[in-house]
Amino acid sequence: MIRVTLLVGLIAALASCNKPSAPQANAAMPKSAEVSAAAVSPESASAPQVTKVNASPAESGATQDKQNIAPDAKPVASSDQRLGYYVGYFEATEEDDAKDPMYSNKINVSIDSISGDTVTGHSVCAGNNRPFSGTLKQGKDGVFDLVLKEPGDDKSDGVFTCNLDPKARTLKGEWVANDKKAAVTKRSYELAYTTFKYNPRQVLGSIGEAEVYGGKMSRRGKIEAITDDAGKYNASVRVLKSHDVENMYKRDLEVMRNTIYARHGYSFRNRAMRDFFDNYVEWYVPVSTDVSHELTDVEKKNIELLKRYEDHASTYYDRFGR
Amino acid sequence: MGVRPGVSPSARATVFPPAIPRPAAAVKAKSSAPTKLWAAIFWTAILFVYTYTLWLMLRIVLQYTSLRPDVAFLEIKQDYIDIPGYRLAFFTHVFSSGFVLLAAYSQFSAKLRRIPGLHKWLGRLYAYIVIFLAGPTGLFIGFFANGGISSRIAFCLLAVLWVSFTILALLKMRARQVQDHARWMVRSYALALSAITLRAWKVAIIALFHPHPMDVYRIVAWLGWVGNLIAAELLILYLFRRRARPTPKTRAQLLPTEVHL
Repeated sequence: MIRVTLLVGLIAALASCNKPSAPQANAAMPKSAEVSAAAVSPESASAPQVTKVNASPAESGATQDKQNIAPDAKPVASSDQRLGYYVGYFEATEEDDAKDPMYSNKINVSIDSISGDTVTGHSVCAGNNRPFSGTLKQGKDGVFDLVLKEPGDDKSDGVFTCNLDPKARTLKGEWVANDKKAAVTKRSYELAYTTFKYNPRQVLGSIGEAEVYGGKMSRRGKIEAITDDAGKYNASVRVLKSHDVENMYKRDLEVMRNTIYARHGYSFRNRAMRDFFDNYVEWYVPVSTDVSHELTDVEKKNIELLKRYEDHASTYYDRFGR
Repeated sequence: MGVRPGVSPSARATVFPPAIPRPAAAVKAKSSAPTKLWAAIFWTAILFVYTYTLWLMLRIVLQYTSLRPDVAFLEIKQDYIDIPGYRLAFFTHVFSSGFVLLAAYSQFSAKLRRIPGLHKWLGRLYAYIVIFLAGPTGLFIGFFANGGISSRIAFCLLAVLWVSFTILALLKMRARQVQDHARWMVRSYALALSAITLRAWKVAIIALFHPHPMDVYRIVAWLGWVGNLIAAELLILYLFRRRARPTPKTRAQLLPTEVHL
């Protein structure tokens, strides 16, 4: 009979180690064909709710009206020591574990103006940019008591009750969600006054091995990790070549690309990226949910390249095909 | 080494390896009923696995039918995609090489080889596709292989050997040296199968060691076909083992016409 198929068979048996029935990785993922640097959304393509980075000014204006998003107004330079960005961790104190809550996020509460006893501002956290307005009362020891309300037309809105210490430049307090059935209904925070300026020279530094939030577990029980490779090149400064990135893991590519956005103060919706930048990157400050018009040409170019290698890696890295 | 006396051309190619006069004892010892049954089950299983693998390969080939310059593998070949002829070579290679993998069904089956002309014409089709389409295009895109000089050498060498073995097999057939033809065809096909083994090694290595993507590519660029060639040589030793140790009597019979190794 067909004896030569002995060879063929051995080979085919090997090939069958492959997981053929595995679903096409991320069917929803845009093929890189459509991905121009401009249209690439930050974070991972697997987060469908990600804001398109390149929303034209007109478009983003419309979105802002609809969702009542505050413009990314920088606080006006002022002698008022109370104004500015207050940044720190926004930590769950009451949550429903069944609803997959995010226990801790970096938040930026921006006090934009104070006139008399009226305070307005906005907060940037977890890819949301929400305005608030409220009242301010003089309390003990020069500390002010604030009650700040978000508009209430978004499911993530709530009320901040906090103390602002203009000497220590801190903002501490509690936040209660309007939606009592939300995954997290109460959070606490101790925020410190922080300034932000885009600095293309910011680098990740040594990462070691950072476990990916929600990362896949390997067969040996090891969780997917972000490695030092993610910070090997500064993609905001250096024009990357294929051979710079071709040997990198998908997660490292993703982090390298999102570091560009992080330098611009982009607030991540994607949990894996948010978790990484919130917790491993000291200089990271969330200030905006749309940085598309602030990207430099070098950055746009690198975003396109990195995204292409990411897409390729996530579809083909461990599969038989290609 | 001309035509064997007393063997008609049609009879010559009905078994694999090609028939030679065997000592009677060898023929006798060959088949008991249970052995035959197990052999049938074994080969059927292998046929199924091979067919399934080809199905996977077909899905890979079908990705490229859009001919778009950024599909699948081409996503990470953007540095080379605009080199004149690259796209033509790439797509020609994908479609012609995919086709070549079907040849195992007809060419290695002893039964199908009894059909007059089938082996000859499909064999020519295989050879011409390899020599004129799949091989040269493989060499061309091999020059631009990912992974640097090491994988470039691997893929170019693979292409050169593939075409060479196929030409040799063709020439041996022309010279009516059927066993040599069979030997070179086994080698040629072993290299054709590197399309499958390269990917299989990749899956296995990544599942086991989770290496960086280009590191594994550099490894399988070599492993994918060198392993096959070793397997092919072992297979050739196995298939032609009877000829290697003929009884003194048959050796005496065979010497005048058969010894050309």
